[in-house]
Amino acid sequence: MCTKGAFPHRSACSLPLTCVYTYIVCVPVLWGSVPWGMKLHCVSLWLLGTILMLCSVDNHGLRRCLISTDMHHIEESFQEIKRAIQAKDTFPNVTILSTLETLQIIKPLDVCCVTKNLLAFYVDRVFKDHQEPNPKILRKISSIANSFLYMQKTLRQCQEQRQCHCRQEATNVTRVIHDNYDQLEVRSAAIKSLGELDIFLAWIAKNHEVTSSA
Amino acid sequence: MQTFTMVLEEIWTSLFMWFFYALIPCLLTDEVAILPAPQNLSVLSTNMKHLLMWSPVIVPGETVYYSVEYQGEYESLYASHIWIPSSWCSLTEGPECDVTDDITATVPYNLRVRATLGSQTSAWSILKHPFNRNSTILTPPGMEITKDGFHLVIELDDLGPQFEFLVAYWRREPGAEEHVKMVRSGGIPVHLETMEPGAAYCVKAQAFVKAIGRYSAFSQTECVEVQGEAIPLVLALFAFVGFMLILVVVPLFVWKMGRLLQYSCCPVVVLPDTLKITNSPQKLISCRREEVDACATAVMSPEELLRAWIS
Repeated sequence: MCTKGAFPHRSACSLPLTCVYTYIVCVPVLWGSVPWGMKLHCVSLWLLGTILMLCSVDNHGLRRCLISTDMHHIEESFQEIKRAIQAKDTFPNVTILSTLETLQIIKPLDVCCVTKNLLAFYVDRVFKDHQEPNPKILRKISSIANSFLYMQKTLRQCQEQRQCHCRQEATNVTRVIHDNYDQLEVRSAAIKSLGELDIFLAWIAKNHEVTSSA
Repeated sequence: MQTFTMVLEEIWTSLFMWFFYALIPCLLTDEVAILPAPQNLSVLSTNMKHLLMWSPVIVPGETVYYSVEYQGEYESLYASHIWIPSSWCSLTEGPECDVTDDITATVPYNLRVRATLGSQTSAWSILKHPFNRNSTILTPPGMEITKDGFHLVIELDDLGPQFEFLVAYWRREPGAEEHVKMVRSGGIPVHLETMEPGAAYCVKAQAFVKAIGRYSAFSQTECVEVQGEAIPLVLALFAFVGFMLILVVVPLFVWKMGRLLQYSCCPVVVLPDTLKITNSPQKLISCRREEVDACATAVMSPEELLRAWIS
């Protein structure tokens, strides 16, 4: 007789049987029988649900941008030189990335922009300003610098699919870090920023849901 | 005459100078570029192990040593003068170098080699095309499937910390569902499933390298079968029946033996006094019938009774 989702119906005795689709007929009839108050309630809930779903999908997508990065290796490389680097820091009471620790309040929407800016901060300024004489430490810094370069490429590919807007809050955070850096003499600032890499790496791991393969 | 001599002298000086200048390059080349640079640099990369190879520099009777240096994309963009000595190949003998520990990021790396013989060093020879580790050849992983009783166990080759494995397994029957399990590292036996008896199970695996986001091809499918449980079931039934029999028979036997022992070695029942025979059997037999009757019919006094009894 009729296909799935339809039933045969005769409008009048003289008329032939026709196939009526359930969703075309029944749903509007049911919707019509619902009182107005409930209708408003349903519509608002549906709108809220859609907004939440879109937001979570969007954020979840951005959060998974750096998922393929081998963070464990970068952290390991840094641990090996951490003590040597931090020993050279001549201003222990000052921090450049201080805002990151207090910036557990960075909103998910700003994570992409802040990550992009901080990677550029390290690649364009910190690694360039630091001249490392010790070959063993140089090897590890090179490894971290090249890994950051790879992360920048991965993030850029991710951004092509999803937008990475820089809102005022994200730009402010970046500017504060650059200002902190500029207040110190270049070599000291570079060494200090290198010493604070563990803060940055931990923040990335937390905000980009990167699981380290230990 | 003098002019002629002077002209001859000039020609002779020019010839001499020309000859001398012509010889200089030969003299110079002899001193400087004796040691040729290594040629035909290439990288063979399999399963994230990267090997830089080159044609050896042959100097008869001498051992030539080689030095390798590398430069990541960061250095080539921001600090092109920086070349980092390789971790393992500062002065190596063979015409190859394991640069796995140097190539630590998924970016293009420049590599260069030079030969050293005593105080002489050759020019640097640079790899033509920069090497990126995401071009490594990933081979299907070796795996060992074992049965531990009814447990399906897999052990994959240990390919290092950068490798994870995707294991797919299913029952070999039409319409069976394929299960997938992620194994974080090789070299350790991993339990996949508890098998049902009489069924065959098939397994295949592929490697995954998170750092470059690539999978290898699947390995060859291997299948194992578990024997049916029919024979052991019969044995179990017999064992149960036997056990129940023992449970019933043994107490019965013990009780019977107890009774036997009781009657054969325990003390005999004591006879009452009235049944004890104190006189000889003749006297008993000679007890006359009249006396017995008299005793039975007459009621005698105690003295008469005593007299009758004594006689």
